Amino acid sequence: MAGALEIQEIQGLCASPGVAVGTVHLAVEVAADALPPGDSPAADREKLRRAVAAAIAELKALVGRSDEESAGILDFQIEMLLDPVLVEMAEERILAGDGAALAWVAALDHYIAGIEEAPDEQLRARAADVVDIRNRVLGALTGRAPEDFAPGSVFVGKDLQPSLFLAHDWTAGGGIVLFDGSIASHVAMLARSRSVPMIVATGRFEVADGARLLVDAKEGRVVIAPEEARIREAKSRMAEARPAEPPRAGGTIETADGVAIRLSAIINDPLEFGSIDPSLFAGIGLMRTEFLMTSPTDAFNEERHYEIYRQALRWAGDAPVIVRMLDLGGDKTLPDLGARKSESFMGLRGIRLLLARPELARLQARALLRATAHGRLGVLLPMVTVPDELDAMSTIFEEESAVLVRRGVQTRMPEIGMMVEVPAAALMLDRFSRSAFFSFGTNDLAQYLAAAARDDRSVAELYDAAAPAICRLIAGGVALADAMKRPVGICGEMASEPRHIPALLAAGLRNFSVAPNRLADIRSAIGGLYSDGLAAAEKS
Amino acid sequence: MDNRSRQQAPAAGDAQGYCQTEIEVTHGFGLHARPSVTFTRLAKSFPCTVEIEVNGSQVWLNGKSIVKIMGARIRRGSILKIRTRGLRAAEAIHALQALVERDFDEEKKHGRSA
Repeated sequence: MAGALEIQEIQGLCASPGVAVGTVHLAVEVAADALPPGDSPAADREKLRRAVAAAIAELKALVGRSDEESAGILDFQIEMLLDPVLVEMAEERILAGDGAALAWVAALDHYIAGIEEAPDEQLRARAADVVDIRNRVLGALTGRAPEDFAPGSVFVGKDLQPSLFLAHDWTAGGGIVLFDGSIASHVAMLARSRSVPMIVATGRFEVADGARLLVDAKEGRVVIAPEEARIREAKSRMAEARPAEPPRAGGTIETADGVAIRLSAIINDPLEFGSIDPSLFAGIGLMRTEFLMTSPTDAFNEERHYEIYRQALRWAGDAPVIVRMLDLGGDKTLPDLGARKSESFMGLRGIRLLLARPELARLQARALLRATAHGRLGVLLPMVTVPDELDAMSTIFEEESAVLVRRGVQTRMPEIGMMVEVPAAALMLDRFSRSAFFSFGTNDLAQYLAAAARDDRSVAELYDAAAPAICRLIAGGVALADAMKRPVGICGEMASEPRHIPALLAAGLRNFSVAPNRLADIRSAIGGLYSDGLAAAEKS
Repeated sequence: MDNRSRQQAPAAGDAQGYCQTEIEVTHGFGLHARPSVTFTRLAKSFPCTVEIEVNGSQVWLNGKSIVKIMGARIRRGSILKIRTRGLRAAEAIHALQALVERDFDEEKKHGRSA
């Protein structure tokens, strides 16, 4: 222990809960005035371009070693570096006589300052990503490797760049304390998904490199030179909190007359798991899988599918996760999936395409079957029109299950349900006896019902005006599903819009899948209504 | 500012194409990291020039530059004007407008939601 340090407590905000104890690693802050002076402008420009190219290559290599979430963050950095505007900003300064390193840092700092002034927290949080880009290129210019630090230590600094976080080995524990930082930053997202305790916004405080630090993140408290008793107390509080699953308080909300409404999350991309608190939702009501299509290698990679479904089930804990099979066709196909010129919303799409080109469906089915071992998995089939389609897909699952069993893989048959987005299906739910559950996809249901394409602005008004017709159709569908004793819910955008909630409640819906960023609005809308959709205020 | 280095369109159906549209950004987190990657990648896939103006600022930015777009600090509720000029201008503006309307596909390609 370096001298008798005074015990000191500092308060910040919790960006990722947990308790960490370790020695301080103080971040090195780049001093621009210590940078090497310039050569000739031409040589400096060349140096800078080479450094940017090297940084891009490094980032691409890092993407190759990263999971989807981290890759998405690094992708943004690559895209920024590929944009000639960034280098041009620095070149202006080189022409004015600055050396490459100084020009780069000055240009980027000016740009970062602009982002830091943004009115929007989400945007301000991106400043750390640009700092990351700045430092990586600077490292390439000056030959300095980015600073890593000893495993198990607590990083203390103004902010922490995502790539530093990703390069560090967190398996030995440790934590993060930032003078500035943001709960919305990429690094906070990463810390939450890797369970690294992290506190932000403490303001600047003095602490010696190597001092002992307690990070009691949930309380937002940093303790310098903590006493053993204090550490024990924090750790025991955490141990108590751990075994008990957090109550899914957010998973249901009661209407004014006490009817429970389930709220599940809509997930478009596994990147979201890091930033969304699972305890606020009754699981995942719709996980889209089209993000896998951004890369053909991912699309046809069974392991990639499996890993992502596992991630979703891990996130949801004991709550159900409903994964929608690839919903492609018409306006979006893989290059090698027989892309047709058809922009029609009524062509070979959804389950029609899956059954027409079953190799991709079979691969996805195998990954889903394997994932059933890790939680409560349901499978949702897109754009089902007739019962035969459901039967055909069930057969594919049975066949692939048999393949896996022959390979010695244990599987369970997941519950298979259907999206209700074709009017012909919505009217006939009683014919779909093999469907384990129903989920109304109102975005497409609206365009088919109103014969108004949702991507054609000239008929946007008609599309919007179809809401009452949709609610009448939903009410009929809910009655049929209730008679079959099958769960029925909604996963269209309507369910994320407070103005539609009264009519949807009146139609009898009790299971809503909502966009995570609309959760608070939807909760408060439902809380102020009776289960028949009338406002509590009107009834009193 | 403008990628004028791109070849001017040869005489073609919409070679003289010039289109402009106005749209409100409704994505919950404005136009930061991932949506801006999606937007600029789509813009770069067209041969015409793409420019955007935010909230009537009279400043037109290169819509293919993620650095410019990030710097424009677009947020939810911002009014975005998009203008395109040159080859496939009409197609580009239609595609970009649809992307904004679809909230940037939450950064991924699910061209249709539920």
